[in-house]
Amino acid sequence: MVLRRDDWLDLARKVDWTPRYVDERELFPEEISGRPWLAHEAWRDWNEAYRTTYREYVANQREKDAAVLGVRAALSKPRLFDDLDPGWVQLVKFHNGAVALAEYAGAVAELRMARFGRDSAWRTMATLGALDEIRHTQIPLLIGHDLLAYDGNFDWTHKAFHTNEWMIIAARHLFDDMFLAADAIDLAIQLNFVFETGFTNLQFMAMAAMADRAHHHLFEKTVASIQTDEARHAQIGHPVLQTLLENGSRERAQYLIDKMWWRCWRLFLALSGTAMEYLAPVSARTRSFKEFMSEWVTEQFMKNLAEFDLEKPWFWDLFIEELDYAHHSFQLGLYTYRTTLWFDVAMPDHAEREWLNEKYPQWEETYGPLWDELERRWETGGEAGTLSYGLPALCNLCQLPALFIRPGRNTACTIEMGGRRYLFCSEPCRWIFEQEKSRFADHNSVVDRIVTGEAPGKLTDLHRWMGLQAPVETGKDLRRGLDPWRLDPVPKR
Amino acid sequence: MRLYLFGFASDDFLGRVVVTPDKRTVAQLADQLLAWGLAPGRGGSLTVRNETGDILDPAATIAEAGLGNGDIFKVERG
Repeated sequence: MVLRRDDWLDLARKVDWTPRYVDERELFPEEISGRPWLAHEAWRDWNEAYRTTYREYVANQREKDAAVLGVRAALSKPRLFDDLDPGWVQLVKFHNGAVALAEYAGAVAELRMARFGRDSAWRTMATLGALDEIRHTQIPLLIGHDLLAYDGNFDWTHKAFHTNEWMIIAARHLFDDMFLAADAIDLAIQLNFVFETGFTNLQFMAMAAMADRAHHHLFEKTVASIQTDEARHAQIGHPVLQTLLENGSRERAQYLIDKMWWRCWRLFLALSGTAMEYLAPVSARTRSFKEFMSEWVTEQFMKNLAEFDLEKPWFWDLFIEELDYAHHSFQLGLYTYRTTLWFDVAMPDHAEREWLNEKYPQWEETYGPLWDELERRWETGGEAGTLSYGLPALCNLCQLPALFIRPGRNTACTIEMGGRRYLFCSEPCRWIFEQEKSRFADHNSVVDRIVTGEAPGKLTDLHRWMGLQAPVETGKDLRRGLDPWRLDPVPKR
Repeated sequence: MRLYLFGFASDDFLGRVVVTPDKRTVAQLADQLLAWGLAPGRGGSLTVRNETGDILDPAATIAEAGLGNGDIFKVERG
């Protein structure tokens, strides 16, 4: 007779062998298993709600893959691009480049926990998580490849993470810190608890809702399917955090959460905030980025903190203030430095400006004059007048331009260390740097590299250094400079 | 000596790198920063501050004003 699931599952998930010829510390060294080092006794109650078996995993994933590939097959290749808004196409290109290979790095992270996690149930869950992340790489690569026939820049789905493109350097810097250069415990808190529990809903579920309204059903199916995996393996973070709190590491746990919240916020405002409100067509916008952040990210995160009796991060007021401004400032940076990107960038048209002002009542007053000036420059001097030529000041922690929060409200700051002055976009970035100086001090931003001669200062050479073949691959104005309210709708390729 | 500084203009949306000889004046430094921004010809009086908020003498050289490699300066329009 075949045993019922519940008769064998606990035994199978909790196979923690007793080592005979090495001791536990050698088997799970602190350097890679993490701090605080605790004997297995402290971890033996590690558990999570899904308790997925490998057999269930294979069956579920097969169904999910069949659903995604079914949509792909139904939309035969010639129809993949049909009816897609031109701005939406750029959003997908932006998303694919920034996310596809980050997921592959996520597989490495999960595998580290699959070996060095301190309980067998944790290691089992992480093994499934690694398989998830490989899937999250392969599906976007497949879809990106399908789209190559229509737009050659979709090869940045694979290429982006192998280049020195500045935004990708910022993303790699974060992901290296969050998981590639992290031990199993830090990884579980930073990747699973903060990033996956807190933020990926925004990138995957919010984007899925928008993709539905943008009639991009393959993208919708893909990102929604990915999020179901994320929701499962994100559960790794909770029991690891619980164990830390029960064993005197509250301060360490709070630091990891505060640090990673801020770092994720920086990346998401740059990636999701700008894409949702400047590339997605107005008809596809179900809510504003701020509304998504408030309802899907902030509220959920607050509940998670309350569950563990943890404090909200010390920089919370600044984060709330930035919700109204930071991604709008960032969009101006993307637009005026668009030749250093692999996707096209939009200037908001009349309808979009109305929508932005409805969602952000101070938008027109704050940003309207700057976009008006860019519009005048298009009319009087053509594209050349709408580009920035000087170097932007880049933060030595997040690696993004120091442009927060809005005109007249500057939060940049510096520290001097070892004869070098470091620039930061904000107090939280400086604070994180100061907590782990030796981890971050030797890294040079793109601007540092240009100043020291490691990277070329001439723009055409810099494009090549970033992996961008100009002018074919470099980002352009989405409407090619045609005044949006003189030519509506945007021309399709 | 040539320096690189990080300038923030109150009507601009990001900080910009300014590479300049330290013998130039603070006023010239402010003009150089504003030339990169979106409102270069707006005119009006300018106030230049260092990172801690001290007002810098526009007639002083950059070196005399105490600015060195990697320092922040802020330009506010009158």
